[in-house]
Amino acid sequence: MNAITEYFKNIKDAVTTTFTGMRITLRYWVREPAITVEYPDRLGKGKTKDDIVADRFRGFLKLDSSTCIGCMQCLRICPLNCIRINVDKGPEGRMLTRFDINQAKCMYCGLCVEECPSQALVFTKRFEGACFDVRELRIAHILAPTPVAKLRRDGKGESS
Amino acid sequence: MYSSANKLYELLNQHLAAYGVPDTVITIAAYVVPCVVVLGLISTIAGMLTYAERKISADIQNRVGPNRVGPFGLLQFPVDGIKLLLKEDIIPDAADKKLFKFAPYLVFTATVLASLVIPFGGSFIVADLNIGLIFIIVVSSLLVVGFLMSGWASNNKWALLGGIRSAAQIISYEIPTALTLLCVVLITGTFSLQEIVKAQGAYPWQWFVFYNPFTLVAFIIFFISSLAEMNRTPFDFPEAESELVSGYNVEYSGMRFALFFAAEFSSIFITASLATAVFLGGGNIGMDPYSSGLGYQLLMVAVFFAKAIPLCFVTIWVRWTLPRLRIDQMMSMCWKYFIPISFACLVMTAVWMLAFDGNGIFWRMPKV
Repeated sequence: MNAITEYFKNIKDAVTTTFTGMRITLRYWVREPAITVEYPDRLGKGKTKDDIVADRFRGFLKLDSSTCIGCMQCLRICPLNCIRINVDKGPEGRMLTRFDINQAKCMYCGLCVEECPSQALVFTKRFEGACFDVRELRIAHILAPTPVAKLRRDGKGESS
Repeated sequence: MYSSANKLYELLNQHLAAYGVPDTVITIAAYVVPCVVVLGLISTIAGMLTYAERKISADIQNRVGPNRVGPFGLLQFPVDGIKLLLKEDIIPDAADKKLFKFAPYLVFTATVLASLVIPFGGSFIVADLNIGLIFIIVVSSLLVVGFLMSGWASNNKWALLGGIRSAAQIISYEIPTALTLLCVVLITGTFSLQEIVKAQGAYPWQWFVFYNPFTLVAFIIFFISSLAEMNRTPFDFPEAESELVSGYNVEYSGMRFALFFAAEFSSIFITASLATAVFLGGGNIGMDPYSSGLGYQLLMVAVFFAKAIPLCFVTIWVRWTLPRLRIDQMMSMCWKYFIPISFACLVMTAVWMLAFDGNGIFWRMPKV
């Protein structure tokens, strides 16, 4: 008797579980839209490459030379030594003459951005780094000597 | 015993005999032309089913699927075919060359041969054999020879395992398939598929699937065991990707591989159309398939495809829902469940016919 009930229970289980599964896949088939982002040429109406990445995306680094105080914290914290900074003393005080970031070496750890006391160094959403020569990825952020900024006390530049 | 070939023969005889074309040529033409048309039809449908499979699987998994080649990616399958044609045809050094070359043709031929006796609605049937159903069962078991041949000739352990598995599986699942088809043969008393279609009606309650509860069960068992016969998931043991790499066709490339692929997808359509013809009334719209006009005959074809194509979609849908069984589960499912149940269906249908004088729940036995 036990074997017979088990036999029919097996049949019932097979039928019900199959139909449960089929219902789930049918719902996905008919209702759920595709979540694929068709990068790069079909991003959807009015969308740019910046819209398809997350808000806190770690892309290429960007320097705001008007707020950089030339403290070299980013250079010291960088585990890979991919930042090169030259600060020269000129007649009008300290001048930033070189701020190169080698994006080919950079591992996007974000330590420099965290360390920057004036929030001059930030991540952008740019992620397309493919190029024909690796030297193109050594990006110079200072083209002409720029005077360094003073560390302001109004929140901007205040390290938290 | 009246089919497209006969009709074409009459037509050609009327128009060409006057020009002194010999009778032999007309006969050969009358049989070759429908065969070529059906081969083209089956291959095209197989190609479109590969597109459908990729699109449906993409829909189920929240993906997009092929959408670059042509509108909605519709031209993807001819492009894939051309790509496979251009690929190198690799034959392994250790392979048994003759068998290796022959096996894909055997598999493809065995699959497409079954389409000769399938009534596509109206008078569109290549050859209305009076042993149509037996012909299909016999021809589909030729497939095993092809699979085993390709597995053996590849001289590869994965391929050989796939071939052996497919032999065990197809031979086992042929029994429930044949037994469930016999339920319908009991009712109609004929193996001819055109006669079986003619015995049914236009409306669902006149189909043999609703003849009695046992034929409904028989239809379900037929559908599941035919999944196993054409090596579709959840019974895709011969090519189980995660276990056997690609199974019996692992050493094949180029057009020989494409033939295996085409055979798999055309067998989906052929099984669906067999189920349509035998259980779901085929292209029957309540009119005589031969004497009615061409417009009605084309409507019958449309009705036939309207039933067969959704069944193909169900096959694909099952594939993207259910995981593969274990091999002992597959065997016990056949021998412990399908064969006893289908045999019970056969016996109970016979008893039912004896008890109710051949009438179904709604279906009535025609007065002789």
